[in-house]
Formats: sequence, C-alpha cells, structure tokens
Amino acid sequence: MWAYLVRRALLSGLAIFGVLVIVFFLSHIIPGDPVAAILGPQAPHDLIEDIRRRWGLDRPVHEQFVRFVGRLVRGDLGTSIATHRPVVQDLREFFPATIELATAAILVGVAAGLSVGITSAVAHGRWIDHVVRFFSLIGLSMPVFWLGLILLFIFYSRLGILPGPGQLDIFLSRPPAVTGLITIDALIARDFSALRNALSHMILPAVVLGSHALVGIARITRASMLEVLGQDYIKVARAKGLAERTVILRHALKNAFLPIITVIGIYYGGLLEGAVLTETVFGWPGVGRYATSAILSQDFAAIMGATLLIALVFSLANLAVDLAYGILNPKIRYE
Amino acid sequence: MARYVIVMSLLFVLAVLPATAGAPPSRVPLSVLVCGMDIQSAVSLDPAQGFEFETTWIMQHLYDQLVELPRDFSRPLPRLAVSWSASADGRTYTFRLRPGARFHSGNPVDARAVEFSFRRVMQLKLAPSFILTDFISRPEDVVAVGSDQVRITFNQSMPENLMAQILANEVASVVDPAIVQRNATADDPLANRWLTDHDAGSGPYELIGWSRNLKVELKAFDGYWAGRPRMGRVFIQNIPEPTAQQLALQRGDIDFAANLFPSQVKALSGQPGIVVKSTPTFGLEYLAMNADYEPFRSRQVRNAVRWAVDYEGIKRIWEDAIDTGQTIVPAGMFGHLSDRPFRKDLTRARTLMREGGYERGFKAELVTSSAFPRPDEAAKIKEDLAQIGIEVEVRVLRGAEVLAIYRGQRHHLTIGRWGADYADPDNLAKAFGNFDSRVLAWRNQWDHPVKQTVKQAVVERNRARREAMYKEIQRIVLEEGPYVILGYPVRQVAMRNNVKGLDPSPLAFTYNFSDVSKE
Repeated sequence: MWAYLVRRALLSGLAIFGVLVIVFFLSHIIPGDPVAAILGPQAPHDLIEDIRRRWGLDRPVHEQFVRFVGRLVRGDLGTSIATHRPVVQDLREFFPATIELATAAILVGVAAGLSVGITSAVAHGRWIDHVVRFFSLIGLSMPVFWLGLILLFIFYSRLGILPGPGQLDIFLSRPPAVTGLITIDALIARDFSALRNALSHMILPAVVLGSHALVGIARITRASMLEVLGQDYIKVARAKGLAERTVILRHALKNAFLPIITVIGIYYGGLLEGAVLTETVFGWPGVGRYATSAILSQDFAAIMGATLLIALVFSLANLAVDLAYGILNPKIRYE
Repeated sequence: MARYVIVMSLLFVLAVLPATAGAPPSRVPLSVLVCGMDIQSAVSLDPAQGFEFETTWIMQHLYDQLVELPRDFSRPLPRLAVSWSASADGRTYTFRLRPGARFHSGNPVDARAVEFSFRRVMQLKLAPSFILTDFISRPEDVVAVGSDQVRITFNQSMPENLMAQILANEVASVVDPAIVQRNATADDPLANRWLTDHDAGSGPYELIGWSRNLKVELKAFDGYWAGRPRMGRVFIQNIPEPTAQQLALQRGDIDFAANLFPSQVKALSGQPGIVVKSTPTFGLEYLAMNADYEPFRSRQVRNAVRWAVDYEGIKRIWEDAIDTGQTIVPAGMFGHLSDRPFRKDLTRARTLMREGGYERGFKAELVTSSAFPRPDEAAKIKEDLAQIGIEVEVRVLRGAEVLAIYRGQRHHLTIGRWGADYADPDNLAKAFGNFDSRVLAWRNQWDHPVKQTVKQAVVERNRARREAMYKEIQRIVLEEGPYVILGYPVRQVAMRNNVKGLDPSPLAFTYNFSDVSKE
C-alpha cells in the first residue's frame, strides 16, 4: 500500500511538472501584452517598458522558465502582475471559498444524483424513468449562468427566502481566519449566526454548481444500477425474501458504486478548479475568476499558480478515487 | 405528488408576478451606505499604485490631496493646502498647509509628510506615477519649507488649473510617513505591499478592511478636519454580475448599483423607490486608423471613413448611453470644441475615396476586444465601410492581445476608449495629438505638426489663449487625425431614492461619499 502511494506520488509529481512545462510555454507563446493589459490602454509606452523590465518579462522565455523553476523549488510561485501580491497569498485567500462551494455542490450532486439515478433504474422503462431521463437531458444542457440568475430571481428577489450574492451578509464580519473556510472558522469561533448565514449563502450557488454533477451522477448511477440489478445474486437476494430496500441499497448499490465513485471524483476535481460563471453570478470570491482573469490578462505567475493548484487537486482526487476502490471492493489490491 | 404540483405552481406564479407596488423598503440602515459594484479589477489601495477606477474612487475617501476641484473642474479649491502662490514664471508653487489636519493615526499632517508622499511615488515608479513625473522631474523638486509649507517646482510653467488637476489626483495623496516606515520591510522599504490593503491617510474615511472579491468596508473618520461625514459606514460589495446588482438594488440590500447595462437602467427608470442618474463622462469612444497602413496615409481616405460612419447607428448600439460628439475634448471639459461636421454621407465619402486614390476600395482588418459593445460596434463599422468599398475583416480578440497589437502598431483599424486621467484638455491633446508622447498619435503613426501646439498649450497660462489653442488642436485632429470619434460615453447608475447627494462625476468612478445623506 505504502509503496503504491509513493509510486503514485512520484508519477503525479512528474505529470504535474509536465503540465507546468506545457502551460508555461503555451501561455508565453499566445500573443498578448500582459503589462499593457494590466496597466490599461492609457499607460505611457516608457512606463510599460520599465515595468516589463522590472518584472523580467523582457527576458527570453527559456530564461524566465529557469527562474520560474528555481522559485518553484523554493516554494515561491512568484508575484501576480495583476494583484501585485504573491500568488501563494492570492490562492490561499481564494481557494478556501472554492473548497467550501465545491464541497457543498458535490454533496448536493451526490445526494440528489444517487436518489434520482436509483429511482430511475428501479423504475426502468416506466414513466418516472422517462421523466428523469428527460430532465437529466435538460439539466445537462441548461447554462449555469442562466440557471443561477433564474434561481437568484425566484428565491432571492421574489420570494426573499434565500440571501443574494456574496459569501456572508455585508454587515457580518468574517470569523477570525484559522482555516480560511468561513463555515469551519465560524464553528471554531462558535459564531453560529455567521455559520447559519454562510450556509444559507451557499445554498443557491451549490445547487447551481451541483446541478451538473447531479445529472452526471444520476446517469452513471442509473446505468450502473441497471447492470447490477440484472445479476443473478440480486435475483437470489430477492428470492430469499429480502426487503426490496435492502436489495437495492445493500446488494445492488454497493456493487454498482465503482463507476459512480469515479464520476464523483472527476466532478469534485472539476468543481475544485473553481467555477467562473457561478462565482460571477453569486459574487463568490473563489479561485475560478482569479484563474480566468489571469488567463485573459496573461498574468503568467497567476496562471502557473492556478495550474499547479488544479493539477494537484486532480491528482489528489484521482488518488482518493483509487483508494476508495479498495474500500468498496476488498478484492482490489494496490501493487 | 399533488403537493409537489401545488408548490411548483406557487413558485411559478410568484416568479412571473410583476413586482408589487414599488420596491421593498431599503434594508440598509440610514447611517450606512452599501454600494454594489464589480471590484474584481481592484489592485491596490496604495496611492502610489492604485490606478483602477474602483481603487482611485476609494482612495479619494481615505486620503487627502493638497487641493481639490469643484464638480465643474473650473478652479482649484483648498483641501490640505489652505492657500498657495506661484512664482512669476509659473513653475514653482508654494502651498501653506491646513493647521489641525491629522492622519487617521492621530499624527499631524505636515509639510514633511507631503514631501515624503510625492517622493515615494516617484521612487516606486508604479502605474499612476507618470501623472506626477510628467510635470515634476525629480524627487528633490518637492521640498518641505518648515513644517507648514511645501514648495513644488514643476518642469514647465503650470497654468493654475492644470496644477490643480495634477495635485488633486489620487496619486498626489498625502500618506503618513510614520505609518509607512513602521510597516516597511527590507525588501519593501516604502511599504507598498502593506499599503495595498491598509490605509495611512487623513481623508474623511478610514479603511476597516478589504476582503478581495468580497467587500471593502470604510468607517467615517471622527477627527476629520472638515467634520465627520454623515454616512458612518460605507460598504462596497463585490457583485460582478449586473443582473445580480439590479436584483439586490430592487430588494433593498444595496443603495446603489454601479455596473448596469443601459437596458437595465431603462428598465429601472421610473420604478418606484429607484432613481436613475446619467452623467456624461470625460471619456471618448473612438475608431483608430493606423496612418502607416497605406490607404490610411491619405487624409481623404481618413475623412471618407469619417463621412461613412453611421453615428446614430452607433448611438443605438449603446442604447443611448453615449453622447454624440466628434472632438477629442469631451463636452463639459475646459476648451471643448462643439463642432460636429460629420454625419453619414456616402456620396461625399465615395468622392473622398476617389480623391484619395481608392475609388475601388481596399481591404482592412479591424481588431477589437469582446467588451460590451465592441463586437456590435465593429459589425456596424464593417457594414458602414463596406458601402464605400472598404472590406473590413473583424477580429474579436482578448483585451491583452488587442493592446499588444495596438501598441505594436500592427493594426489597420481598432476601436478604443480613452477616459481622462485628469480633467484638463492637455490629457486628451497629448494622447491624441502629440506623437512624441508615444500614446495614441504614436500608436497610429500620425506625426503631425499639431504636436507643437500641444506642447505650447500646456504651458500657456493665459486662460483665453490656452482655450483657443486647444480648440485649434481639436479642429486639426478632427479634420486630419487618424480617429473617428464615436461619442462620449454616459455613466448610468441606479440608486434607492432615499439616497441624496451621490452624484457621479464626469471623471471615471468619482462619487463623493462625504456629501451623501439618506432620508
């Protein structure tokens, strides 16, 4: 097991480095002027050239890459040309909000996706199955931006039962930062009004973001369950007179779970990249908008920082899925 | 199932119901102001660095400058300086400081602080520093004379109004040297990093905190020399999405929405409880022609383009959020020339194309960003120019790419916007008319003798003569320059009707919270 983990870590390290190399050179090849983009169209030519020199952006790309790697091994991701702050500090500030939202969204997606998928599989071929599949298709093709605004319009503006944009009511202070996760920090500080408020702010963006995961999980659950429900051991379980609930949840679902857990892992990894549209609609201070604006303005240090973070998250999500296989199916061995 | 149907039907009915009579009452206390806006572009609250609309606006309230300007920008008013005098040649100004002004730390604002602040900007050499260094060459040109007088020597004769435009700018804010030094580090001796999200000012508001991409919180400064502002707290909430801003305003969670689309402003206009304000800005939307591209070397061809553009059509694209104007100094600014000779006249445009030697037309590429409403403007211009034989290929690119092409003088045509850095025609004349300043005239390869007039006008101290010179510059750029001025954008904001005194200024994003009250 440990040997497996070490080998996976080494392989992941190599893969991440490969991703960084590709992204570094790609981001430098695409045309654009990061300094001019940051300073705007009115900045004088001499000032732009001076700042370009100071940031080392006038150096050859291979030299910039060597400097980047040198800094990286010291744990320094450089300074964002847009925010003028260390990229590590930026990521430390924005990533916790993304973790909270992604976790809430995947919980929504898993809870609803499993229920819908199982219901659809059990009711295979009946009207409820068709309805679920129809709505799955709609859900998958519904633009996140539109869904976000519609939910905001209904539940915030018209019904007034859920809060509007932001992570916390404007008049509330953030609990003292320990983890950076508002909900956890509120728990640590025993600030339950902030906790309630933060959770209520999370509902709409989590539902919007979780809706796509919901559809994906529901579809794979349905397919996987249909396959398992046709197996002999399910017929035997039913013949033994076991309750249908036990047959479905204990015998079928457990055996159908391997592909489901893979999809959950992929979705969670994707959600942790940040979600620029959901963050935009709900004023959520996550890493998605940071990464997107870094790409648009060719903020190289921020691009590399975000890339590293995303690559790490994906590697960890994949590793977690692989480890979960062993828990779900003891026959699987790590070599 | 029946219950589900009932609940869903109820939700649907509530959603499609028109708004009940008037917006719900504001939920913001009377002593608090909440502004909803997109503050993601905010970089720094250090006056030596902040150059974005959002941060310069906030810094106006955290810091004081030596002088300030009234809403019509007509004359300097005292701020930290109570009086000033100029040398005979107009190059040296001596300012007497206001007694009793204090920083938020409690330290007195003195001449050494002014000297320190200006020199700090010049040493850091960050984005807005050129506003000072264009006129003050060396740090030693700003000198404290005793504790209550400062002498500033400019590198040219300065008309009083131009002096005020420069020194009222946020980059000329006075910072508390003691606080800066206390937070300096070996690799950041001027505490630029610390000042990015802290304040060391003496302005009417203190910074409580800035949670990036979430909110900025300000508190009224009890010891402000002009008296404590009426709004005890000001929150700037990051709401990037205009529709979400509109919903929050209608719901009463914010007092003021800053980034609405024209169609939203129209929808809100006349709604009970909401007030819409439109302010012409000191900005220009323009089409640039690279005079180094063979066809655009011809003045006749450039004029043909000016006669071919459908200005009214452009206005429709902006949903009327742009005022038609064709000169480079926007309406309302000193020296504005109101001439508007061009309108869509294809006969005249085709004649000019023939005179310019391009009767059969030519091909040109138009690069533009995807920002609203550039792609629509580009499509309209393509359609207009096709009518005089110019076949335009539109390329919509990222802003960074467009700027790289523009700065590299590799464009044929591009659409740009210029917002005045300070309310003096020099800012526009220098950019659009002076090739040597390496801004727009240089990018468009238009090296015209008018640049000499631009250089003379900026040092002219006689107001009438100066005004005449700027009008002459505008006339020449209008008739010969490589630009089609499409109009002056209008700033449109919406606010709750109990908010009084919050009036947008023609300069970008300048609102004075100190004058705001709520009923």
